[in-house]
Amino acid sequence: MSSRSDPLLRVENLKTQFFTDAGTVRAVDGISFEVYEGEIVGLVGESGAGKSVASMSLLRLVDSPGQIVDGEITYKGETIFGLEEGPDGDLHEREDMLTNEEVRTRIRGNEIAVIFQDPMESLNPVFTVGSQLREFIELNRDLSSDEARREAVDMLREVGIPDPAERYEEYPHQFSGGMRQRVLIAMALACEPNLIIADEPTTALDVTVEGQIIDLVDDLQAKYGTSFIWVTHDMGVVAEICDRVNVMYLGEIVEQAPVDELFYDTKHPYTEALLNSMPRPDRTVAELDPIRGVMPEAINPPAGCRFHPRCPDAREACKRIHPENREVARADGQPHRAACIKHDVFGDEYEESVPLEERAQETAASATDGGESEGSGVESRSQSGSESGNTSKAGSQHGGDDRE
Amino acid sequence: MTTVSKSSPDGQLGSEMTGETVPYGEALIEVEGLKKYFSQSGGLLPGISLDTNQFPPISVGEERVQAVDDVSFDIRRGETLGLVGESGCGKSTLGRTILRLLEPTAGTISFKGEDLATLSGENLRTKRSEIQMIFQDPQASLDPRLTVGQIIEEPMRAHGMLDDEGREARAKDLLEKAGLDPHHYNRYPHAFSGGQRQRINLARALSVNPDFIVCDEPVSALDVSIQAQVLNTMERLQDEFGLTYLFIAHDLSVIRHISDRVAVMYLGNIVELAEKEELFENPQHPYTKALLDSIPVPDPRETGARGVLEGEVPSPVDPPSGCRFRTRCPRLIAPEAYEWDGEEWERTRSFMRAVKRRTFEPMPAAEIRAEFFGNTLPQGEPGRIVEEAIEFIATDHEAGTQTSGQAKAVTDEAGTERDGPTVDWEQATDRLLEVFAEQSICARERPAYEVESEHGSGTHFAACHLHR
Repeated sequence: MSSRSDPLLRVENLKTQFFTDAGTVRAVDGISFEVYEGEIVGLVGESGAGKSVASMSLLRLVDSPGQIVDGEITYKGETIFGLEEGPDGDLHEREDMLTNEEVRTRIRGNEIAVIFQDPMESLNPVFTVGSQLREFIELNRDLSSDEARREAVDMLREVGIPDPAERYEEYPHQFSGGMRQRVLIAMALACEPNLIIADEPTTALDVTVEGQIIDLVDDLQAKYGTSFIWVTHDMGVVAEICDRVNVMYLGEIVEQAPVDELFYDTKHPYTEALLNSMPRPDRTVAELDPIRGVMPEAINPPAGCRFHPRCPDAREACKRIHPENREVARADGQPHRAACIKHDVFGDEYEESVPLEERAQETAASATDGGESEGSGVESRSQSGSESGNTSKAGSQHGGDDRE
Repeated sequence: MTTVSKSSPDGQLGSEMTGETVPYGEALIEVEGLKKYFSQSGGLLPGISLDTNQFPPISVGEERVQAVDDVSFDIRRGETLGLVGESGCGKSTLGRTILRLLEPTAGTISFKGEDLATLSGENLRTKRSEIQMIFQDPQASLDPRLTVGQIIEEPMRAHGMLDDEGREARAKDLLEKAGLDPHHYNRYPHAFSGGQRQRINLARALSVNPDFIVCDEPVSALDVSIQAQVLNTMERLQDEFGLTYLFIAHDLSVIRHISDRVAVMYLGNIVELAEKEELFENPQHPYTKALLDSIPVPDPRETGARGVLEGEVPSPVDPPSGCRFRTRCPRLIAPEAYEWDGEEWERTRSFMRAVKRRTFEPMPAAEIRAEFFGNTLPQGEPGRIVEEAIEFIATDHEAGTQTSGQAKAVTDEAGTERDGPTVDWEQATDRLLEVFAEQSICARERPAYEVESEHGSGTHFAACHLHR
């Protein structure tokens, strides 16, 4: 793990935006990360953090009104996405960027495959499971129909579907949720891709089935050496299978660390708060410590650090400084990055500024349960608290502070 | 910030109807032998099924889904009973049947000494003010055309509580108590986030001053950080209003946090019921253990091997006899008719399951023996039966065994790669199940035992014959 060659996938400063009537939604706002060969990289965050958009951007699967507006995606030395400045000062797609045709035929499926959350929606209900798998193999691997069929049966067996020759003829509705997810895994693996993007693949499944699928992925990963980008909101799943983790908040990666460091040497207050707000299966937590407020909408993110309105450690400086992801520690030769100015590498602005503590106490007093009690999203409010006025125009994130 | 709540006398909110009969800690609800079956009617000829393998090929008889089958437990006043299970286990059906949103097939639901199962009409309607429900989907359970105020006042109006002004005051008060701004009274549900909508649901449920609330996956649709906020509010309201919750969820972490006692359901039965700490730290039913083992723990250093459960939940139309978990149970008890030595039974059991699920490819008899039995078949009768089963599925079984003549006639379909003698999975499965699985006590008797608690002083119910 420590000796690193070139990464399989490198994402730099990726920005994906949606141009809507209400304004520009900055769903993914300048994220950078790498995936090395044979590792499982987690992309974690709450709904709306931008993790799915980020993962779909990697395959250029963003539909209008969405658009990748900046950044560079390099896969095995090939440019999946890249921009350069033209003579007129505008950004243009780079010469070496793969065409749509090339991405479709060479990259998707063959090199990078996707497993989606809802296996029912990913399978066509009017064709048999086998024929869908066979068609996929036939198209992507240039096999004859018979060979593809044999391959399909083998793949079904590989992912633990009993009696594959018989199940080949069945329709998706005859499969249980877990079995369908196995079919999708078979489909993803069928062309032996080097990278699989798994977008919440176990979220819709029961725990016991989830366990079966995670074990299956573990086995297959060991066997084929496939890399994974595992998109999830479940810290339990992250702890279980990821090697390195990227924590996303409101379109940005706020912390990036090997999995053990993320849990035991947490560097970003958001990650910390997320871990503290979870009820645990392995021990009884008497008092949950929720993150106050809700995540603001990406259409109008707070100035400064995007987490500061909800952050227990926030100080005056956090309202002004928008920290980028910097290396704050190293573990086993791997960087631990965090986007929080309380760390020394960001200078001493944090030390010198005044805590936003008073507000925190006020909030605690007025809404003991962390009350996510204000108007949601971008809607207007009946009252406007003094604090929220200068932190965010959308003003949706505080607890009950401005109820006073 | 508490100015609004003064508009209605505080004491009135919490306790005018509660506590009239049942003291805290005593059973508020006693469910006894509750059953809920659904008939699978519909289609052109309901109830008629066609099976060409029998004579006559057409049979009349309704297939019934045994969603909840003979469940008994009680819920004490002021406690939270967690009800946990996988999807399809019948937990939601149970919750709805207790509220009489579904008609029970059999059994009694005694609420404050009155049997809800026999109530009907006006009596039941009145009773509904004391029992309320919170649903999973905060979006779907709020009428988008009503304002928040109307939504919260609706139940009060239905039960003829208070006058217009009183209702408005109470609605605002409840909004505040549920952690929302009373000024949101005139807004529509779409303007709220998921967590806030669930708070509106809470306020609505509380409006008629219930004693008992069934919460059906109230936080499953919410993000982790919001989940914690709503859970905390629910706990606070429970204390404040003296509520009793039946908390249905599939998420064991949430259940562990909020419950006082926990019931685990599997395929329409409660398999284990104990105090929270006892259930999580000292689980006595193999299903509960498997469930607890399979949760991914948010701790990368937790490397304990995960005991993954094999197979899938059987159909509730025709559930297994005796213990319903026995078809997947890793600790299925050996049939007493035979003597078992050492690992013999474990090996036979896993072979039986492998055959039933067809998890391996047909192979020569010698290979099967080596793979499943380390080349030593069980002694005596069991060994003979295993040998018989191997004959059915081995790729090199000799001509002359009872099926091979018939089997040879059936040519393998083009798609399956293996040629040569056909294997007869079904015969092998039947033979093994009939002799081993069906003879086990797990298949013959329905278990119900009380075991000693290691944590706390409560009773610990475990439906597993290992405790006989």
